[in-house]
Amino acid sequence: MSDYIVEMKHITKRFPGIVANDDVSIGIKKGEIFALLGENGAGKSTLMSILGGMYEPDEGEIYIRGEKVQISSPNHAAKLNIGMVHQHFKLVSDYTITENIILGVEPMKKFAGLFPYVDIRNANRKIEELSKNFGLEVDPTKKIADLTVSMQQRVEILKVLYREAEILIFDEPTAVLTPQEIEFLLGIIEGLRNGGKTIILITHKLEEIKKVADRCAVLNKGNLVDVLDVKETSTKQMAQLMVGREVNFESAKAPAVMKEEVLKVDHLTVKNEDGFEVVKDVSFTIHSGEIFAIAGVADNGQVEIADAIAGLTKVSGGKVLLQGKDITNESIRNRTEMGISYIPEDRQSFGLVLDFDLSTNLALKQYYREPFASKGILSKEEFEQFGSKLIDKYDIRSGQGIKTQVRSMSGGNQQKAIIAREIELQSPLMIFVQPTRGVDIGAIENIHKMMIQQRDQGKAILLVSLELDEIMNVADTIGVIYNGQLQKIASSESLTTNEVGEYMMGAKHE
Amino acid sequence: MDTIIIDGLSFALPLFIIAIGGIYSEKSGITNLALEGFQGFGAFIGAMSAVLIANAFGTDIQNLFYVALLFAMIGGMGFSIIHAVLSIKFKADQVISGVVINILALALTTFLTTQINALVFGAASDKFRLGVSERFTIEGVANIPVIGAVFTNVYPFEVIIIVIAFFAWYLLYKTKFGMRLRASGENPHSVDAAGVNVSKIRFSAVLISGLLSGLGGMCFAYSISANFSSNIYMGYGFLAIAALIFGNWRILPTLAACLLFGFAKSGGAFIAQSMALPSSFTDLFMILPYVLTLLLLIFFSKSNRAPRALGEIYDKGKR
Amino acid sequence: MSKDKKKKSLRYSLIRPISNEKWQPISIPFVSIIISFIAAAIVILLIGKNPLQAFYNLFQGAGILPKPSYAGYKSMLTDFLSLLNAMTPLVFASLAVAVAFRAGLFNIGVSGQMLVSGFLATIIVGYSGLDAIIAKPLVLLIGMVAGGLMGGLVGWLKYKFNINEVVTTIMLNYIAQYVISFFIQMYYIDPVSRQSKYISEAARLTLVNVEIANLKMDIPLGFILAIITAILIKFVMDKTVVGFEIKAVGNNRNAAKYAGIKVGRNTVLAMVISGGLAGLAGVTYYLGYFSSIQPKVLSSIGFDSIAVSLLGNSHPIGVIFSSFLVSIIDQGSTYMSSQAGIRQEISSVIIGLILLFSACGAYLKHKVSRLKEKEVDQKESES
Repeated sequence: MSDYIVEMKHITKRFPGIVANDDVSIGIKKGEIFALLGENGAGKSTLMSILGGMYEPDEGEIYIRGEKVQISSPNHAAKLNIGMVHQHFKLVSDYTITENIILGVEPMKKFAGLFPYVDIRNANRKIEELSKNFGLEVDPTKKIADLTVSMQQRVEILKVLYREAEILIFDEPTAVLTPQEIEFLLGIIEGLRNGGKTIILITHKLEEIKKVADRCAVLNKGNLVDVLDVKETSTKQMAQLMVGREVNFESAKAPAVMKEEVLKVDHLTVKNEDGFEVVKDVSFTIHSGEIFAIAGVADNGQVEIADAIAGLTKVSGGKVLLQGKDITNESIRNRTEMGISYIPEDRQSFGLVLDFDLSTNLALKQYYREPFASKGILSKEEFEQFGSKLIDKYDIRSGQGIKTQVRSMSGGNQQKAIIAREIELQSPLMIFVQPTRGVDIGAIENIHKMMIQQRDQGKAILLVSLELDEIMNVADTIGVIYNGQLQKIASSESLTTNEVGEYMMGAKHE
Repeated sequence: MDTIIIDGLSFALPLFIIAIGGIYSEKSGITNLALEGFQGFGAFIGAMSAVLIANAFGTDIQNLFYVALLFAMIGGMGFSIIHAVLSIKFKADQVISGVVINILALALTTFLTTQINALVFGAASDKFRLGVSERFTIEGVANIPVIGAVFTNVYPFEVIIIVIAFFAWYLLYKTKFGMRLRASGENPHSVDAAGVNVSKIRFSAVLISGLLSGLGGMCFAYSISANFSSNIYMGYGFLAIAALIFGNWRILPTLAACLLFGFAKSGGAFIAQSMALPSSFTDLFMILPYVLTLLLLIFFSKSNRAPRALGEIYDKGKR
Repeated sequence: MSKDKKKKSLRYSLIRPISNEKWQPISIPFVSIIISFIAAAIVILLIGKNPLQAFYNLFQGAGILPKPSYAGYKSMLTDFLSLLNAMTPLVFASLAVAVAFRAGLFNIGVSGQMLVSGFLATIIVGYSGLDAIIAKPLVLLIGMVAGGLMGGLVGWLKYKFNINEVVTTIMLNYIAQYVISFFIQMYYIDPVSRQSKYISEAARLTLVNVEIANLKMDIPLGFILAIITAILIKFVMDKTVVGFEIKAVGNNRNAAKYAGIKVGRNTVLAMVISGGLAGLAGVTYYLGYFSSIQPKVLSSIGFDSIAVSLLGNSHPIGVIFSSFLVSIIDQGSTYMSSQAGIRQEISSVIIGLILLFSACGAYLKHKVSRLKEKEVDQKESES
């Protein structure tokens, strides 16, 4: 008998084209916080999906509490008291907290001894109790749609606790939280451990591991690099193991040389479909040679600001001026022509037409004008030439060159294609919304480099990001948004990460 | 006045039960334009069974109404398997699948009706004669002015529909099956994560829509048309879809929409009749429900919200 | 193990014919057609008839294969010309569906649009006594404009009020059907035929009973126009800015909007083009193939065109071939019925089946690519 509660031995999992896990063996002790560290694509999520019953391994064995098991489904995993807190919440926004938690394991009662019905009232009580026990206080009758992101995460945690999980897997739980919320969550995780639960924490953030984890396994390109005792290892060592080389956390960046004003946002107000004000009276300016970043928790109006500047959303009050010209009521096309490049948040549903080929997508903003088209007739040769040029210049990799359907390209290369297209427009203003979401570390570094390069060439850059580290790294000026209002605008040197975090939660006022 | 209520109800209720079928399917996330085909095919199976049984045992076909109803439900459900397989298993576009099924239903039932008539009865007829189901009146209550009309000349199927509708409401909103079904249409990933098979839920939802549509179609065949022929494809299924859209995919408001259609139709016919207009004018009044649909859509489509995952192909294999 | 492998290689040889992606737009419809004919053959066998004989009769009736004997003034050529005559509106109607589909829209209202344009052209030109040289182009123009306006209305409702075009077109179908039935019965009825009064020969787009070389044939003028239109549509969709924008909107409305394309305008435009094509289908049907309108009936062409377009992969040239096939089934069915004693209605069952199997095309494609992936994986892991 080993003292491990979970043992995964020689796990190998292949997907078409890649080996996601290559002979990985780990053991997790009861009552510890075990971290899995690795870049995007290192195979940590795959490994845990195998434990959670989402995938079956091609090779290898799993032992739970010393017994060999084959985990065939998430249901089976739940029976083995394994629960996963997903990175992307899987909640029904129209349902109450209780309804979401009991979905799939509904407690039943019978009406008139004949008609079974879901016993919501009892479940409400039970969940309220459960949430108090673990310090996760929620009101079980509230609808998910009315909850903040961090509250939704609590619901996800309660879901697995309600199913009496003993082994809890957290998949990148802090990705969308403010520093203060992260602090709170890590506290909860420690509390769970102290209550006897076993925790597996998937993350690529070293500080978190340092703060709470007992041991840490490092994965790189599907291989297990090492298992470390966290107390005896420095973050620097961990980082090197993770990336496989020396990493530079700070982007090398010369101080900004700001020149004339390029963008002026003046008392901007934006309403959503329901007529609710999601951006309230926001004003700021961006200069040539400046990276202005908007920091904030998801859904606080930052994307709407970017959309309003680019013309994708209607403005209900205030003005947007580009190089002194009022563009508030201009069409999207005119704004592009006047000088706005836009890298949108959702590259697949906004940035690209996935069923078009690469060269067409690269010309998506210029197809209608010379030399791509004359008198309404398209020139195929121009599309191809332009496409080939950009593929070389920006090192965009794809299966069949310019003829590749964009759908079949990797996320990182899709993003490269969008950035290439937008830089080629030579616009004085460039808007980047979440430019590094879902791309691996190497590509992140590259994207940051390109942004700074563009800045140094005199572009004005608006960056919207949920990753505070990214903002602290590249921004010259930071505007913090909370609930549709800019709480604070200041140069990045004058703010600490913690201060920005407090503004992000609306906690700090002047 | 009374005839407006009596005829309106007997039109609205079968429409309502088809619409409930649509609600089940769409609440689970499967767009269902195939209701038209389901109700027609269901009615065909029901009518065919009734005609064949009447022929074999010499029973009066009017008395076989309940048998026909049962077979219609089975037929509608059986036919709906095509939509379920195409749109869930084969991941076909749900709109295309629906359109295909409607065309196939019309072609198949027309062909089979003439074929069976020729083979069994040796007659070249494209319809099954059914007659009109018996009606009843609840004495006493029926004498109350206005409201009394609701209890006058009632088809038995109207009562059946109300009972089934109530049960459908209970199933959708009170049981775990209903809870999972509605969640599948909002966020199938959450259902999947809870260890429930989304495909199975959706499959059964589509089958229920087939069953209820078959029931509705049969009621139309035994009342308004008194026979089964390709005239059953009058657009009842599409009206039901329009009704459930106004009803915001909820059962009670959908009933209101169906009643509105029913009364618009019977009211129009009543006006045409009482003004002694030539028969071609009934054509003009026939457009009332459709025009009403368009107008209401213009006013209400903004405030309505379809199930979030409606029409999306669910692929759980996404990495 | 070896048995397993055999099974796999068998499966692979089965999918090989459709595994080449380049040919899939042709090979997959082809496979669906074959499967449908097999299914139809089974149905015919079940009712105790010889399917091969039936299919042979089908082609004979359509003028593709020679009949054993012909009535006076008739030959295979006249049969073939009737086929083209019947096919003309179907080509237009299918192009209408295809263009809308490229823009991500379902035009289920082709029948209604056909009826409205056919009716307007009938009362404005058909009863006017204008000379052929003015009447015929005018008929085409009215058809296009009426259909285009009706299609445009659908597009506008979609864009302005976000009303699903499927519902709108279906509602408009019924409204058109009843309203026009009312007008025909009130003002334009022919008491003998119970249809609208016949139009003048001058306005008709098919030259009927033209005597050449001792044959009386129907020459469908619209057919040439249909072929030219298909080529024109292909050019517009593939080579022009307008086509680019419509396709972008159809593929991804969000991305199109983001790229500065006016989504609303293109939605309306695509529906105007689609409706205009449906209008041409209407006039070549009611003022070409027929010369009057039956009240209260929507032409089944509007629905068959969905099948044809799906089968032709919404590609203008593909549509020509698939219309040809469907027209053969439709036209040949009368002869087949008289010769083989099979009910004529089976032709729509065959069309329905083709449609059903074409709808599975996407699945077939998906399955094939999955199998191929596995195949590649296996080879990699074996080596």
